[in-house]
Amino acid sequence: MASRDVVSYDTPLSRALSIFGTVFVAFYLVWTLLPFVVMFVSSFKDMLEAFKLPVVGDWAGMTVFFDFSPTLKHYTTLFTENSFGTYIMNSLIAAGGSAVISVVFGSLAAYSLSRVDFRGKQDLFFWIISTRMAPVVAVMVPLYAIFRSLDLVGTLPGLILAYTTFNLPFAIWMLKGFFDNVPYAIEEAQMVDGATRFEAFRSILPLVAPGIGAFVVLCVLFAWNDFLFAAIIGSGGAKTLPVATRELVQPQNIQWGSIMAAGVVTTAPMMLLGLVIRKYLVAGLTMGAVKE
Amino acid sequence: MTDVSSLSGSSRDVASQLFRARAHSVEVEARPRAEITHKPRKFNPPMPKYYYYYLMAPAIAILAFISLYPFFWLIIMSLQDVDIGGGEWIGLKNYTKLFTDARFIDGWILLAQYSIMCLGLQVGLGVTLAVVVNSSKYEKYLVTALLMPMMMAPAVAGLLWLFLYNGTFGWYHWVLQSAGILDSASILASADTAMYAIVLVDVWQWTPLITIIALAGLKRVPRDQLEANMVDGASPMRNFFAIILPNLYPVLLIAVLLRFMDNFRFIDSILVLTGGGPGSATKILPVYLFEVAFKFFKLGRGAAIALTLLIVTILLGKLLVRVFEKPQGGKG
Repeated sequence: MASRDVVSYDTPLSRALSIFGTVFVAFYLVWTLLPFVVMFVSSFKDMLEAFKLPVVGDWAGMTVFFDFSPTLKHYTTLFTENSFGTYIMNSLIAAGGSAVISVVFGSLAAYSLSRVDFRGKQDLFFWIISTRMAPVVAVMVPLYAIFRSLDLVGTLPGLILAYTTFNLPFAIWMLKGFFDNVPYAIEEAQMVDGATRFEAFRSILPLVAPGIGAFVVLCVLFAWNDFLFAAIIGSGGAKTLPVATRELVQPQNIQWGSIMAAGVVTTAPMMLLGLVIRKYLVAGLTMGAVKE
Repeated sequence: MTDVSSLSGSSRDVASQLFRARAHSVEVEARPRAEITHKPRKFNPPMPKYYYYYLMAPAIAILAFISLYPFFWLIIMSLQDVDIGGGEWIGLKNYTKLFTDARFIDGWILLAQYSIMCLGLQVGLGVTLAVVVNSSKYEKYLVTALLMPMMMAPAVAGLLWLFLYNGTFGWYHWVLQSAGILDSASILASADTAMYAIVLVDVWQWTPLITIIALAGLKRVPRDQLEANMVDGASPMRNFFAIILPNLYPVLLIAVLLRFMDNFRFIDSILVLTGGGPGSATKILPVYLFEVAFKFFKLGRGAAIALTLLIVTILLGKLLVRVFEKPQGGKG
């Protein structure tokens, strides 16, 4: 709000700018949202109808896009011919498990890091954040070798542990910022009243509960959307939704209808969750550097 | 208001309850204090640091197992000739070979090209978008719409764009062709255009992040400076370049660094769209690493490449943390 409505200009230039702005945003929105519309609508189309395109240059022919009879068969094949029910469960367990582990241990660590000072704390922090920022492929090379020797490749516990490599540092980093905002005086007051340190910690939990909940959701989101770890560490026994969707692409026969349906199945829940925690989304996506 | 009648009927009950409550409280008050806290607890020692270390320990232990331990493994592996079977020590051979590996060097060049193209487009589009959205009545709805692509799994986004780019039935291809930008060959099939294709997907998915970060920065632009500048007769353009942009700079720096590191981190959509092809036109370094390590299972060689990638990321991370810690313009 700060930079708006201070003084209203009304010159030809400013009017031209504002018209340009509106047109620009309109075009951008169409460009951003159209792929979703195509995905959603195509998932209800029969194969031949999905491939229908107007002649090149025939802009009026675009209405052909809506010329189809809706069918649910792609969704039913996902669950009958491909076992997408299992893959959804795998995704849920892997993402949920790592999110819970990360946030439980992460909040304990974040709380103590927020309350205590010691030498080398900055270095510890740098280690934590660089674990989060490390390229997934680079992390996976040694992790794959270790997990193979422990027989963790292709299992859900292995995948949960793999997701924890990026979720745990994320949780520690974000939640520390949260605990920093809770005044120590609250705990002090509790302890003067005879509470132990752990009781004092529990007493401030309700203050940070909404944030903790939001970060569980964010951790689920990151893990759910992962492809690389799931493709390598989870290959075989722990196939998640993005990998299963990718496997519908076969050299001879790409089942586009099913792929679009699987895309909807994978994307829709995360979009809803994202809207629920919108308030924390921006902070989460920018590692807490920017708050909305 | 409807409850009043029912209340007034039983007003005596209320009174008696109140009375009882007071009697009860007097009773509590009258109890000697020692009975409430019959065993006075020991006061907490002044510096009970160890307690915090106990809380920290499990997280640090997990993190050590999944990050520090693998890191040492990575260094050991990079000195060995490891494939599926086992390893044998070969010293620094993995590293010396990298200098003559054309695809390794090309990978870095392509990664730089890819990142610069992505970031240039994202910052340009993102900031313009933020300025317009900031002065819009519908800001809240626009931001919600813009958040959508970021919720999609990058691999699914890759598949969706694979469909849209398709040379025979892709809508995006049709639009580009109708506008006369492209001939009938698919954008992904030619080595000249495939890079633009993967850049566009990244721009589609992540420009909104820059927009939202820039939007947060715009809210912080001090109003008095804008007013003072306008009183001096500055135009809106001048206002933008003299006041808004300098104030935006620290936030934008964070956004750019974050996106830059994400370009190193995520290759999901590229793997799905081109797999590094056609030829090696889109084989940016992480994709090349993926191929070496998990297609040909040359884990030792992969480890050496991974280490170079990690070192660059750590240096970038140092930069990022320094920017984080700097106080940002306006109130944080």
